[in-house]
Amino acid sequence: MTKYIIQRIFWLFVVLFVVSFITFSLMHLVPGGPWDREKALDERVVAALNAKYGLDKPFIVQFGNYIAGIFRGDLGVSYSRQDRDVTAILLEGLPKTATLGITAFILAILIGVPLGMAAALKQNSIIDYISVLFATVFASIPGFVLGILLMIIFSVTLHWLPTGGWGSVRQVIMPAFALATLPAAFIARITRASTLEVMRQDYVRTARAMGIKHRVILIRHILRNALIPVITVAGPELAFLVSGSFIIENLFSIPGIGRLFVNGVFARDYGLIMGTILFYAFAVAFINLVVDIMYGVIDPRIRYD
Amino acid sequence: MVKKVLALIFALVIITTMLVLPACSPSASTKEQILRTNIAGEPSQIDPNRASWSTERTVIMQVFEGLLGFNQDLSLRAIGAEEIPTVDNDGISADGKTYTFELNTKVEWSDGEKVTAQDYEYSIKRLFSPDLAAEYTSFYFDIVGGEAYYSAIDADVATKAALKDAIGVRAIDDDTLEIKLNAPRPTFLQLMALWPVYPVREDIITQFGEQWTEPPNYIGNGPFIMTEWVHSDHITLIKNEDYWGTKAKLDTVVLYMKTDINAEYAAYQNNELDISQVAAGTEASTLADPVLGPQVLRYAELVTFGFQFNLEVAPFDNKNLRKAINAAIDRDSFINNVRGGVGKAAYSWIPPGMPGYDPNLGADYHFNVTKAKEFLVAAGYASNGSDVPELRLQYADTGTNPTIAQFIQNQLKINLGIDVALEPMERAAFSEMVNAEQHTWAWFGWGADYPDPDNWLPELFGTGAGNNHTNYSSAAFDALCTEAAAELDNTQRLALWADAQAMVVDDAPVLFMQYRERFRLVKPYVKGLKYTGMDGDSPGDMFFAEVYID
Repeated sequence: MTKYIIQRIFWLFVVLFVVSFITFSLMHLVPGGPWDREKALDERVVAALNAKYGLDKPFIVQFGNYIAGIFRGDLGVSYSRQDRDVTAILLEGLPKTATLGITAFILAILIGVPLGMAAALKQNSIIDYISVLFATVFASIPGFVLGILLMIIFSVTLHWLPTGGWGSVRQVIMPAFALATLPAAFIARITRASTLEVMRQDYVRTARAMGIKHRVILIRHILRNALIPVITVAGPELAFLVSGSFIIENLFSIPGIGRLFVNGVFARDYGLIMGTILFYAFAVAFINLVVDIMYGVIDPRIRYD
Repeated sequence: MVKKVLALIFALVIITTMLVLPACSPSASTKEQILRTNIAGEPSQIDPNRASWSTERTVIMQVFEGLLGFNQDLSLRAIGAEEIPTVDNDGISADGKTYTFELNTKVEWSDGEKVTAQDYEYSIKRLFSPDLAAEYTSFYFDIVGGEAYYSAIDADVATKAALKDAIGVRAIDDDTLEIKLNAPRPTFLQLMALWPVYPVREDIITQFGEQWTEPPNYIGNGPFIMTEWVHSDHITLIKNEDYWGTKAKLDTVVLYMKTDINAEYAAYQNNELDISQVAAGTEASTLADPVLGPQVLRYAELVTFGFQFNLEVAPFDNKNLRKAINAAIDRDSFINNVRGGVGKAAYSWIPPGMPGYDPNLGADYHFNVTKAKEFLVAAGYASNGSDVPELRLQYADTGTNPTIAQFIQNQLKINLGIDVALEPMERAAFSEMVNAEQHTWAWFGWGADYPDPDNWLPELFGTGAGNNHTNYSSAAFDALCTEAAAELDNTQRLALWADAQAMVVDDAPVLFMQYRERFRLVKPYVKGLKYTGMDGDSPGDMFFAEVYID
């Protein structure tokens, strides 16, 4: 197990290196740089800016400097944010985005799993239909539409909740819900399908035949096994939610990291782009690792030795 | 079972409602002196020397003031200076190359220190530092030694220090600042009213480095003090109780950074904001709304929009074709149908509200299909446009730009029978292409840096000028610009600029489209808003100190 984890961590670093190289190259290849404005800057100004940020050096030197910086814990500075350290910007936004993402994730699990289980246990009943309807509707409404809808109802019409910002619980409710619906719908569908499959397994029938109580079978045999595919999808969902959503953060004015990447791309803010991409890559790779370890905990049949 | 479930749901709804309700009864408008407005996002840079965007100016203008500033009509007023330098008061030398500012001795920093001529000297010399790489510095290259220092990117420390010392800015004593120019610059005083030359504090910047723009280090000399900056969320400014002049009526200004226009509008309707934009395309319905209609504030901005032809690319090298296109576009329909009735049709370049605007210019370009066809024939094409090659039009694929481009495509097809191919592009890629003059015909806008034709003509239409993306080149025009730029007699100077503009409008390197108008909602209890054609992100932000809530 330990050997497996060490191997995976090694590969995680390889992945991060490859991701940084690809991103760095793409960033410099796309047309338009950080100083391309509608109102063109004076060429002497552009020269001074390029020199200041080292953009006048050859590509490979710039990349080398960047990688060397990472080993010193320095992700560079953001040109579009007062030259602040990208690390500081990410660390400032991360708790907000993570709080929002984890809240949304818990909401998604709390809605999705019971809904999916209920639908499977009462297959083809009214509960099942409602669950499927919910999953379909919320899987197809885009986050920004739902977000604006919520805002119109709860802020503009009822005046119950603030339209956005950060700092109080009330400001988390709408964005967390808007963020949770899509994964909730997804998780409900997966849970339903996997529960239906597990219910027909031999070991469930055996357990029944042995006269074990329905509730015990449900929790120990069905739920536990039905959750394996759910965990598979929940991992990346969590990574996705924790890395933030541009649309939801933009709409609800949340000073998280979800907005940073897209804003960075628009501004060709190289430091910000690299920082957010690396963070995202790390989050996905790390959570996948955790998920793989979780499999072993939940399903005793899975072993990594 | 069903009953139980229903009861549970009912209980949940009640509990949620109770949790949510008490904290957020709709806030009634009170007389609390707080103004809540929105800026376009996190400012890139609020260091006055380095700033360039309107978002940044909105913050800087509250916390800092320069030697000079603008009145509401954009004429100059003395703030940090005792009076506006003139030749008569010995503020400007007879040759127009030396400016002497006597400082207003009452002006203090918000920490109680006096603002001195040395602060200005430090600030202006810092503006030219190649290590700072400030974006507006090129505007000030007329100051002796400025360009040499700024361009010495790779020089060693000693050379840089020598070049810095050689800059023609000198504090003669605590209250007298002298600035020497390479050549007379009639608009120099306007430049001295802009943010890059506001004073900044050497001791603060030396002590805090990059952190100096964070509160409480952000020490200014203006009517407000920044007390809080929650990055990407909001900035809080409070009244500077020790401000030397008339103190602000507002106790607090909060600048939010909502980046979604629908969210900004919703926040306004939920009484979280006192000033808001409306989504593009909803202007007409907003005006018609019985509640919101009276809250609309609209006024002209010093911004002109148009499509710039690349004169080096056929067929746009044909002057009569450009004139034909100018006459073939129904701009009133454009304003009413594409721009929601907001804005003013443009037939020339310099916008209303500025010296140099001439409503009689561009008479040939008023919508007239017959005239357009005459121009087309004069250009050597058939009057039904059948032999005009397909024209390619580029624009940044954001906001309402696609609709604008489609409008032009449709007008030229209907009115002149000319086909237009639309080429949308990502924003930065589009800017790069236009800046490299690789476009054929592109949507663009120009806003005033300072209210003078000097900022509107040579920089855009002078041969080889930095923002000349039409590749327009006229020896006669260049000669007029050179003459006007050095003319110290203002009447004569404006006459020269008028001739220069007339020349450009006649040559039509641009399809002139629209003068921009600002359209905002303002809560009725916000009083005393003094807006100008050069406001930053929020209307009236040059004079927030005079705003009050009633």
